[in-house]
Amino acid sequence: MIRLKNVSKTFEGRSEVRALSGIDLTIPAGQIYGIIGQSGAGKSTLLRCINMLERPDSGEVWVGGTLMNSLKPKELRAARRKMGMVFQQFNLLNSRTVFANIAFPLELNKTPKQAVRKRVEQLADLVGLADKLEAYPRQLSGGQKQRVGIARALATEPEVLLCDEPTSALDPETTASVLNLLQTINERLGLTVVLVTHEMAVIQETCHSVAVLDEGTVQEAGPVAEIFTHPKSKAAQRLLQGLLAAKFSLPQPSPDGMFIRLTFLHDRANQPIISKLIRRHEVEVNILSGRIDQMKGSPFGMLLVELRGSSQEKDAALCFLEENQVEVEVLSP
Amino acid sequence: MNAAALSILWNATLETLLMVGAATVLAVLGGLPLGILLAATDPNGILEHRWVNRILGTVINLGRSVPFIILMVAIIPFTRKVVGTSIGTTAAIVPLTVAAIPFMARLVEGALKEVDPGVIEAAQSMGTGPLQIIYKVLLPEALPALVLAVTVTAVNLVGYSAMAGAIGGGGLGDLAIRYGYQRFRGDVMLQTVAILVLLVQGMQMLGDRIAQKLYQRG
Repeated sequence: MIRLKNVSKTFEGRSEVRALSGIDLTIPAGQIYGIIGQSGAGKSTLLRCINMLERPDSGEVWVGGTLMNSLKPKELRAARRKMGMVFQQFNLLNSRTVFANIAFPLELNKTPKQAVRKRVEQLADLVGLADKLEAYPRQLSGGQKQRVGIARALATEPEVLLCDEPTSALDPETTASVLNLLQTINERLGLTVVLVTHEMAVIQETCHSVAVLDEGTVQEAGPVAEIFTHPKSKAAQRLLQGLLAAKFSLPQPSPDGMFIRLTFLHDRANQPIISKLIRRHEVEVNILSGRIDQMKGSPFGMLLVELRGSSQEKDAALCFLEENQVEVEVLSP
Repeated sequence: MNAAALSILWNATLETLLMVGAATVLAVLGGLPLGILLAATDPNGILEHRWVNRILGTVINLGRSVPFIILMVAIIPFTRKVVGTSIGTTAAIVPLTVAAIPFMARLVEGALKEVDPGVIEAAQSMGTGPLQIIYKVLLPEALPALVLAVTVTAVNLVGYSAMAGAIGGGGLGDLAIRYGYQRFRGDVMLQTVAILVLLVQGMQMLGDRIAQKLYQRG
């Protein structure tokens, strides 16, 4: 488990930048925990505070039972060897082969040669690069480089994997495969993954929980499903805008119409609820916007509709929807 | 060209190669650690240390700002202490080395600073200590640039070695002045210059090629 208590960090330069102010965050063990925010929100700084690449000005950073701030340089290096880190720009050593890159952290641990070979081959298998061990990073594609980066980060069997925008330099297809890999690793090895990103889609696909960061503070944090369906903070709503048409500019409703937003979770998204509604109630449904998506494997849908009919029928329709465990939000009137 | 002239030319070439070769090796031995120290103690370096950086930087700038011909004469007592004489090819190696070390140090510093900070950070995130970062990350990653730095230093030393004639250092430059200029032997002048051109071209090509190989590997 990772805990941040009242962590603050200011960068001094020509103008002071308050990157983090009073961050409190608990990241449960074994989860994939997303940290999202726009650029400049402080999310990378937050991540780098966890392994002290960035030293907080105040506050406490606990990883497992260790207070990271208090460690002496030597102890800190030992603690870092129990954490892996994956970077947006991969940061591989160009002078080393894939094999030697993955072996790098093992060299630092003075692992015997044979054990290194075994471990590297095992990791290369895991990330699907068993045939590239003798290649140099410049001969690899972006996705392959990131796989090497992930294998390297896992070499010392860390308990925590810190990922700083791991897919931001990759195309959508490669992004999906790298995210899949992170999920596989999380499930198979049970390690905690902290994933920083500016893309809601990445969170939606991969994470159990998410913290929304804006201007150096946590705006809200919780399970992904909760935040996606009921974003409370402005920052979360803004980030979700594109994804869920959360802010759809509504036309004038017809005299007997009303706008509602329906949210379908889990198996509800697979059922013909709207067609049942029309058959059972004297209402008309006009779909304005909608999408069905996957959230960490389970379907998830959202519809923006105009409901037309007498007010009695409309009320009955709303009741019907709620009985069917569809979340209803009346937008207007 | 008769045999005697050829032998003079050949000897002068060997003297130049000896001076340049020895001074280059010594300059690497002296300049590499100093360059590493400069880069490491830089405000953004892995062992940031403002005072060490400033003092070292100033000393190196001093060394670089003295014109070679003056340096050569000024350190004659030092040269005599080190090699027992202040005249000849061996004696010339001393001022050449003294001039080349600060030059090399700056080039090494530049090469090391070109290493992607992200890679250094990645190494730090894996628990790599400062010394390990130097010899496991900085030096291997900067190797192609370091090879080019050595090449530039050696090429520069060819030029400096021509001035070593002033203290009887011998070599091609000395030959060009004594025969070509003072005895009006235009042919000797042309021959020495031709050899110098070939020497510099050859050294640069070799350095480029090694650097390219190292880079492509990576």
